[in-house]
Order: sequence, then structure tokens, then C-alpha cells
Amino acid sequence: MQHLFGNNYSTILTVLLLFLVSISHAQLKRERVVQDQEVELTFDAPRLINLYTTEPLNKNDLHWSIMHTFGELNNGIQNLWGIDNGANIRLSFEYAPSNKFSITAARSSLDKVYDLGIRNHYLIQKKDNSMPVSVSSMFSVAVNTNNYKFLDNEAPAFNERLSFVGQLMISRKFTKKLSMQLSPMYAYFVDNRAIYLTKSKDQHHPALAYSIKYTAFGKYSFTAQSIIDLDSPENSNVGFGIDIETGGHVFQLYVVSAANLNDSYLLADEVDRPFQSLRFGFNVNRIFTLGKSKK
Amino acid sequence: MMRTVLLFLFTFTCCISSYSQEYKCEDGKVKFISKAPLNSFDGNSAYLHGLIDLDKNLIDFYIDLNTLKTGIALRDSHMREDYLETEEYPYAEFTGEIKNLNRVSASELKEGLTVTAIGEFKIHGISKKRSITGELKLNANGNLILNTEFPVLLKDHNIEKPSLLGYQIADKQTVKINATLIRQ
Repeated sequence: MQHLFGNNYSTILTVLLLFLVSISHAQLKRERVVQDQEVELTFDAPRLINLYTTEPLNKNDLHWSIMHTFGELNNGIQNLWGIDNGANIRLSFEYAPSNKFSITAARSSLDKVYDLGIRNHYLIQKKDNSMPVSVSSMFSVAVNTNNYKFLDNEAPAFNERLSFVGQLMISRKFTKKLSMQLSPMYAYFVDNRAIYLTKSKDQHHPALAYSIKYTAFGKYSFTAQSIIDLDSPENSNVGFGIDIETGGHVFQLYVVSAANLNDSYLLADEVDRPFQSLRFGFNVNRIFTLGKSKK
Repeated sequence: MMRTVLLFLFTFTCCISSYSQEYKCEDGKVKFISKAPLNSFDGNSAYLHGLIDLDKNLIDFYIDLNTLKTGIALRDSHMREDYLETEEYPYAEFTGEIKNLNRVSASELKEGLTVTAIGEFKIHGISKKRSITGELKLNANGNLILNTEFPVLLKDHNIEKPSLLGYQIADKQTVKINATLIRQ
């Protein structure tokens, strides 16, 4: 008998210990309700400097943005570094009928371009890394509505005024502070005339763009962007600035090399010395929640 | 020696199985009310997990803060990412005991009784010793219904408030809880 107990002594102790453990841990085990939480706020707004981001709108959100660029900084103090040249403006409204899809209508002042576009969201990065990136796309059609009354010869026909642009956006929020996006882009002009306010007169504009956001402190982030022309990689657009997230508005202040603000014109605006045509610009973004707020 | 251990074990097992008065829930309702001059709103969740053990006098509640919804998805995102920082601090929790529980009788509970719980309330990684008053009621099915309301001061838990324009949030948030805990 003594022998038998001796053998099981450790077993009994273990059982006892288990009991004690289960008693002392009588608190509830903390378990998350949502396991594969989606990554949020990869970027402050659906725009970063010049380009769209993967940052989605929620269903029934309306994103209003007004973007500006001014004259070149090298105009000097006489023209207040380009501010006196006046602003090029792009006004845009983007509405999301669903969490995955939105429609944009916009007007840019240079060449009086109206554009109509869509943005789709296919994948959203997950916090548990079961999905490492977010993937979205955008496509838009733009029409130059300048009446060209000042021309001696005939103004371009409607279809000759069209341009198209598409891009795939692949982003990742690497840390709480650092987000990056890679965007293969392509723009096509039906007839890129000399009179149009584009710097490059090619019809086809394949490009690769990247965007970076680094949250420096609180609601302030540093941003940088480059759009590289794949046909002539020495040509590019660059931009860098700061995002200020105010809770209601997102202000984006920057310097960029392109004056144009709509996407197709932007790709035709790449230059071989981007740092020599830098200019000041800023975006104001505001997202409105339409419809009934759901509980 | 061995006999003592066995006896001890046996007694313990009996105690646990026969006298357990555990009540649990996983779908308690939590509401927080944020009142500011120009912008009042509330946030809701129906995922309050709770345990009330009348034997051990243990109260333990937690909520996954990611389940809170204010009705505006973008505001929820900012709440999670910038203010509650739910990736680092996913839960709000309270663990404590009921004051003077030994004086509470079953018949009093059936009529509904105001009790005070004393314990640690933790959110955003910061614990505060709190004394929270609420009503406990044993219903006809033998389940325990809890109703309580208490203030949470954001600065107590080092939760930042939006400082620029935009949302307005008062430092004092009111939290309301309504839960039915099922007898185990």
C-alpha cells in the first residue's frame, strides 16, 4: 500500500496543483470577439498628395476634396514663391454606395477637365497578417472642355479631348506610423495636342508610383510620393509634404513638381528635372457621413 | 500524509461542485455616452463578457473595445486607432468583489438590490481602484440581471482627446451596463 501511494504521489500532487490553479484563475479568460480585425487608417484620407490611396470610404460616405497647386517656387519672393500666380484647383466628390466601391466626379481648372471615375477595394490588410496588403484599383475618364475660341483652326472634337487613366494600388501599413503604397499606373490620351496643358505629348503613359506616410507625432504625418515614367525613367513627378489629421478634416500641405491635379494629366506632366519645377500645393479633405447613422 | 491530501482534495471537489453560484454572460450591453456642447453621441456594444460568483464573491467583466460602434464608421476607426489604441489595449475590464455580500439574502436579490462593487477598472492599460454601484436582481428563471451606470474620466486612463477641430469629446464619459447573467 505504502509502495502504491509512493508511486502515485506526484500524480496526486499534480492533480491538486491543477485544482489550485483552476481556483486562482477563476477570472474569465480574455478573448477577442473580432479575431481577424482589418487594418484601419493606413492613410489619413483617400488621397495622398496627388494620388488616390487604398483608404476606403464606408458605405454612404461622401468624400469632398479640394486640391490646389500654385506657381513654381523659383518665381522668388517677388511672386511669393508662386502663390501670386494663382491656384490650379481640382474639386472632387467621391461617394461610396458600398464599402467596396465608390464613384468620383471632379473638375480640374487646367484645361477645364471634368473627370468621372470609380475606385474598387478588393483586399484589406488584416492585423493578424492573414492578409498582408490592401489592394484597390481606380479608373477614370477625363474630358478637356476648354472651348479653344482663341484658336484660328478648329477646336478638337469631343473624342479627341478624352483621356483615360487606371491604377492598381497595393498598400501596407508596416507599423502604426509607417504606411507605403505602390501603384502601377497607365494613362492614355486619344490625341495629346500641343495646345493641351500637358508637358509630355506622348499618347501612352505607363508609370509606377509610390507613396509613403510616416506619422511623426500625434496627428502630423510626413508624406512623400514619386511617379516614375516607365517609358523614360529619368522623368518623374515628385512630391513631399505633411498631413494634418484634425478629426474632421485632413489637410495635406506639400510641394510637388506637377501643376496638374487630375490623374491622367498628372502622368503626362512628368519632367526630367522634377526638383526644378517644385511648387506649393495643398488639399483639404472632408468625409461626410450621409444617410442614417447605424447603431 | 497521503490520506490528508486525498481528503483535502475530496473536500475541495465537493465544495466546488455543490456550492457554486456562478453566473455568466457573453452578450451584455454596454453603452457609453459622450456629451459635449456641440457634439453628443453614444457608442454601443452587445459583447460584454461577465462573471459573478456569489460564493467566491468575485465579479469579473470585460469587453473587447473593437466591438464598440458609434454609428459613424470613420469615427469608430479613429476611436480604435488613435484614442483607445485597441491593438495594444483591446479590453476594458473590471475585477472586484461585492461589498457586504455576506449580508445579502436570496430573497433580497429576488426583489432587486442595490450593491456596491469594489475593484479595479482597467482601460487603455491603466487601472484605477473604483467603487461602482449597481442593481442586481435574480429573475424568475434564476438568472442574475445587472444594471449599472458609472462615469469614466478619460484623463484617469490617459486617453487622449481630439485637440484640433473636429470631434468634440468631454472628459467625462458615462458608461451604462445592462446584462443578464445566466446561472451556470
